[in-house]
Amino acid sequence: MPSGTGKTVSLLSLIVAYQQYYPEHRKLIYCSRTMSEIEKALAELKALMKYRTDQLGYEEDFRGLGLTSRKNLCLHPSVKREKSGSVVDARCRSLTAGFVKEKKERGEDVDLCIYHDNLDLLEPHNLVPSGVFTLDGLLKYGEQQKQCPYFSARRMMPFCNVIIYSYHYLLDPKIAERVSKELSKDCIVVFDEAHNIDNVCIESLSIDLTEDSLRKATRGANNLERRITEMRSSDADKLQNEYAKLVEGLRDADESRQEDEFMANPALPDDLLQEAVPGNIRRAEHFVAFLKRFIEYLKTRMKVLHVISETPPSFLQHLKDLTFIEKKPLRFCAERLTSLVRTLELTNIEDYQPLQEVATFATLAATYDKGFLLILEPYESDTATVPNPILHFTCLDAAIAIRPVFDRFSSVIITSGTISPLEMYPKMLGFTTVVQESYSMTLARRSFLPMIVTRGSDQSAISSGFQIRNEPGVVRNYGSLLMEFSKITPDGIVVFFPSYLYMESIISMWQGMGTLDEIWKYKLILVETPDSQETSLALETYRTACCNGRGAILLCVARGKVSEGIDFDHHYGRTVLCIGVPFQYTESRILKARLEFLRETYRIRENDFLSFDAMRHAAQCLGRVLRGKDDYGVMVLADRRFQKKRSQLPKWINQAMLDSDTSLSTDMAVASAKKFLRTMAQPFSERDQAGVSTWDIKDLERHKRKMEEEKIRELQNGGDGAKMEVDGHANGMNGADEYGADDDLDYAMMDMNA
Amino acid sequence: MRFLVNPECYHKMCESCVDRIFSQGPAPCPVAGCARTLRKQRFRKQTFEDLQIEREVDVRRRVAATFNRRESEFQTLRDYNNYLEEVETLTFNLLYNIDVAITEAKLASYAKQNAADIANNKALSAQESASTEARMAAQKEQARLRREAARIEEEEERREREEGRREIIEKIAHSTDDPDKIVREGQKVVLKKSTARRNAADRLRAQDAASVDNASAPLFQIAGLRPITQPQLEQVYDPFGGYVVKPSYFELQPSYAHPWLEKAKTDPQILAGGYDVGEYCARTMMEACAGLGVFVEEEVARRERAADADLGTQSAAIAGGEGGGSGSDVL
Ligand code: SF4
Ligand SMILES: [Zn+2]
Ligand SMILES: [Zn+2]
Repeated sequence: MPSGTGKTVSLLSLIVAYQQYYPEHRKLIYCSRTMSEIEKALAELKALMKYRTDQLGYEEDFRGLGLTSRKNLCLHPSVKREKSGSVVDARCRSLTAGFVKEKKERGEDVDLCIYHDNLDLLEPHNLVPSGVFTLDGLLKYGEQQKQCPYFSARRMMPFCNVIIYSYHYLLDPKIAERVSKELSKDCIVVFDEAHNIDNVCIESLSIDLTEDSLRKATRGANNLERRITEMRSSDADKLQNEYAKLVEGLRDADESRQEDEFMANPALPDDLLQEAVPGNIRRAEHFVAFLKRFIEYLKTRMKVLHVISETPPSFLQHLKDLTFIEKKPLRFCAERLTSLVRTLELTNIEDYQPLQEVATFATLAATYDKGFLLILEPYESDTATVPNPILHFTCLDAAIAIRPVFDRFSSVIITSGTISPLEMYPKMLGFTTVVQESYSMTLARRSFLPMIVTRGSDQSAISSGFQIRNEPGVVRNYGSLLMEFSKITPDGIVVFFPSYLYMESIISMWQGMGTLDEIWKYKLILVETPDSQETSLALETYRTACCNGRGAILLCVARGKVSEGIDFDHHYGRTVLCIGVPFQYTESRILKARLEFLRETYRIRENDFLSFDAMRHAAQCLGRVLRGKDDYGVMVLADRRFQKKRSQLPKWINQAMLDSDTSLSTDMAVASAKKFLRTMAQPFSERDQAGVSTWDIKDLERHKRKMEEEKIRELQNGGDGAKMEVDGHANGMNGADEYGADDDLDYAMMDMNA
Repeated sequence: MRFLVNPECYHKMCESCVDRIFSQGPAPCPVAGCARTLRKQRFRKQTFEDLQIEREVDVRRRVAATFNRRESEFQTLRDYNNYLEEVETLTFNLLYNIDVAITEAKLASYAKQNAADIANNKALSAQESASTEARMAAQKEQARLRREAARIEEEEERREREEGRREIIEKIAHSTDDPDKIVREGQKVVLKKSTARRNAADRLRAQDAASVDNASAPLFQIAGLRPITQPQLEQVYDPFGGYVVKPSYFELQPSYAHPWLEKAKTDPQILAGGYDVGEYCARTMMEACAGLGVFVEEEVARRERAADADLGTQSAAIAGGEGGGSGSDVL
């Protein structure tokens, strides 16, 4: 179900009602993908709470906060101007770390962040007043009170009823350890927009190393060495203290409270975390030598001029043979580095980022035998002659990153508008669903027209398949399809291609055929590029052209930025054209490895996965144009192969697709679209929707009564006197979305909502 | 041009120079200020870019060959960690030329003392690495086989589909039935076939997975075995849990020569009842020494002193009470 149809708010209202009804007040953790989505969800929550106050007649004691990176929430006048997120993080840490404060108290001249210090003057559990704050609201409040919004949100997390933040705070073990550790087990976790969750999981555990980053890591190690020598002459006690602690196998007692730690450990098994650090890396200088040796080893590996793909055990074996580095100390690498960095009281932490990456890599490689693969690619592409090696340490198993979440929280809901087919997700993420549901959508009028075009205007099949994708006939057919639609569509058209490469080649061919000149007469043409600045400029122009009536076409890529995060509501997108099935680039070694892994481990066949992945991207693209119940748009899937994959589309699209709108040729599609657009041009008022696709309380009650009656009748017919349960089943989840859920929301909860 | 280094001094030299200088037998290193005698045959290509590391690894190789104890040989993890640290410190000494003579001596003496253990552990790790290698190779082979099987399966499926389609076309061409119906039926057949095959393949695969570990491995090996330790002999049950009463004033002799006892030692009339001369002796000795070390005066004195102190406290309490005035009223 496309966004704007109220799936966020229905989820929120359902869970908040449940939460407020029961005395435990189970906390809700709502995860979304981008900052704008988080902001939207917060706004919805705010409206919801206002509504509850109106209805209940009193204000509930309720806190809802959102959390995003420092980069978005910083108020410090110079720090917030930094462009890169990691620099902001690092600079903030050097202004707020515990030892910096100690130094200040000792009278040394160090900079502190006033916004951060002001927080200490407030009650720790009441940094912001209760209620719901959007990110924007929090920034404003922070500016008013001169307090840091980021840390206010972080520290208030234990006291919140609802937390809305990005996936990474739960899935990326490096961050999750820090941010989400204190959340209790009975939290309700929701992953919204989760159609891509497996990729997020995988990315959070994958690391790429280049020669450059190794060089920087060496520099970092040398710096560390220098600092150790300095400290030994000035403040040897601190090193000795650290050493003593490591001998005892003690973890810092206040470690958990350190909110500004350099880095946290990637997902380590618990028993390992209890163990003492191995003796040969206990001393600071021993550890630095250890790191250097490891980095040198990696550098040697980088010199190889052919592709290598290797499992972690075989990597470790070779490492041991060559450098006498054992698996065990390697496992403790990340933790040991954190401890050392803390002991040395380093402030310019951003310099140690590459070193940290190497340490994380070491820890991961030594911890997991399965589900990971090392791939060394000496050349950037097959045609390159100058080596530019990259060592990918890629995670193949999405389940590894998400398993801690399932283990820890008893209720997890995974939902998205385009999460289909549902069966794939439990398989890939390794869980079993308690409730799994796919919802269709009720609309007062047919406000979108999905079509599958399989033949061009000359009746020959069109496809972006490898064999025929560059044939002039196919390209011309695609061109004429675009041209026809640019003639009949008002305002904006969005076109998605499977890849940049294909988009470029097809555009240049259209140029040669004169297709572009023809289209130019009707619409402005704008193109997405990998460069985000160029793209945002193109988008802006596109919007202007749509607004002033010139109309425009945006050519973009199905896996690019546009397809994921940008909405084309109303006149910004009246037609979306999917040219070709957006398959992944199968020659990528990482993808090949993952396919093999999926086949071997989860019995998912290559083709099934590829087609699933392509279709979820296609659905994502189609969903871009329909952003609400009063919106309308034409959706065209232009490839012969879509015909067979139709069942893999989300239910709401598939159901709305008439059989007569499949297997079309260009002229038939155009005729059908013309008719559709003509009906859409008829006046349509809010009132027409009432009772059909929007229900007020009376409709809801009527529905509930009907359901109850039905139930009673059923029970009476069955001769079963158990009427007590009746009201438990009346649920009016009207606007609810489609979600495959692993939750144990019981009937009581649904009852609440009705 | 290839550069070589010699582990004597780690000075870099090109191959032709090495040939030129050292082919007549050992010669001093041409680098100014070095002058170590080098042999040609020990020159080799460097593995690491950083010569410091190159040298470090050489040192480590030597140290690791000697100090090859395993975690399981230690009683506690902490002991093992201490051992590791010690070895590391030793290595550092060699690396940075700190107390080289002493360190070398330590190394040598350790090697001599623990020769058997060292050889044992070496054999163990060699065996281990051989078995892991074999296992990895076996796994790789299996993966390859499975990949092959999947490919064949896919191909088969495609071929079947093609065939099905051809059949349908043929049927349509040669029969007078409703073509739509033929098509529908044909598709059903194809579908059924492919599901059946897929199920069969799945079953096969499941079987495969079950037999992975016992079937195809070329070498019989088991992963993750703990080294064998001799089972400890079970101790005789001791009701006192190891508590021994040892008389402090005498030592019980196995036998005492006393004419009065001689008869009792052998006379069956006495022994038949279970009489044991040893027990008798032990008791007598105990009785004889029972009062030793007890000094009555001292004990009495101590008792009196204690009584005095008691009195003192009482009187102090009374005095305090009087001083307090109101306190005595209460009493
Ligand atoms: S404490 Fe807050 S305001 Fe200060 S630098 Fe850090 S993020 Fe910015
Ligand atoms: Zn030379
Ligand atoms: Zn030399």
